[in-house]
Amino acid sequence: MKKDLEAKFLSDFEANQNIAHKICRLYTTNQSAHNDLFQEITIQVWKNYPKFRGDSKFSTWMYRVALNTAISLYRKSTRTIKTQDFDDIAFKIKSTDYDDTEELQLKALYKAVHQLNDIDKALIFLYLEDKPYKEISETLGISSVNARVKMNRAKEKLKNILNP
Amino acid sequence: MDLLENYKKAWDNQPEEVSKFSELEIYKLAHSRSSSIVKWIFIIGILEFVILNSMYFFVDMDEAYAEYKKIGLENFIHYSQILAYVIIFYFLGMFYLNYKKISTSDSTRVLMKKIIKTRKTVRNYVIFNLSYMALIMFIVMAAEINLKFEDLNTKQILLIVLLTLVLTLVILGGLWLFYQLLYGILLRKLNRNYKEIAKLDRIN
Repeated sequence: MKKDLEAKFLSDFEANQNIAHKICRLYTTNQSAHNDLFQEITIQVWKNYPKFRGDSKFSTWMYRVALNTAISLYRKSTRTIKTQDFDDIAFKIKSTDYDDTEELQLKALYKAVHQLNDIDKALIFLYLEDKPYKEISETLGISSVNARVKMNRAKEKLKNILNP
Repeated sequence: MDLLENYKKAWDNQPEEVSKFSELEIYKLAHSRSSSIVKWIFIIGILEFVILNSMYFFVDMDEAYAEYKKIGLENFIHYSQILAYVIIFYFLGMFYLNYKKISTSDSTRVLMKKIIKTRKTVRNYVIFNLSYMALIMFIVMAAEINLKFEDLNTKQILLIVLLTLVLTLVILGGLWLFYQLLYGILLRKLNRNYKEIAKLDRIN
């Protein structure tokens, strides 16, 4: 029984690991912090996996667990943000068929989001991932009206950073 | 078009992570130890309890008990210690329950609420430890004065009271700092995020 569950977890998580990687990129600025957070997300998803009942999609549920882990995890390295760390990220996600303007935009986007607080980061992430307000409000545990208001503020903040 | 829509396109088109983990690597990661704050609060609480109590093995308690006996407090000390242990075990139980109940699969707000509950438990635990310490010091002082009341003049009594007060404040201050260091660091970030999430509720 447990073996089945474990196998299912491994294949679900493997297939959806990009969610965790994206969250790590938003919440951390260097590779070792990225890996630490990724590990903690893996542990939390596995620990909570027996509670996942399958009434929603695995990915939907994983967004919530992964974001909550990022928000509540104690990270020592957040205070030392170094600029070259952003270049690391950009370099890592560079590929041949990749448009240069978009690469610069993406780099600027990450740099801007890094300046937001943890909750705003979560909101912007869910916006970028095209999540409906219903899902955003369930993830954060607030009403969808509140989610809308808060989302608009977070977007305003982000725009001001991107285009001062 | 909205400024952010452009960036969103860049976001959608970002390539997948190059260094993806295999199922085997994920298996290893999932079975390593968690570093979550609430777990550490629980572990530190247990460690503190064990370390403070094992100090009795190194400190000669017989002498202290002889002193308590002399001033007629042996029964009080005995029962108050039993009570203190009951209360401390209650707190350790609460630490454990907080740790067990916290689940990252709750919604962010519920999670933060549970975290704030953990915070309150820690705070009450610290307050209890400090007030128990202060209470014992003052009762011992009162008993000492009571015993030697005939031999002491007003000035000496005042001096004893003042000394005890200063000593208590110094010890409590030291302990307070110790707790601030121990739990404060762990709780600060949690608190900041809680305030953020609490703000979400106050918008309307």
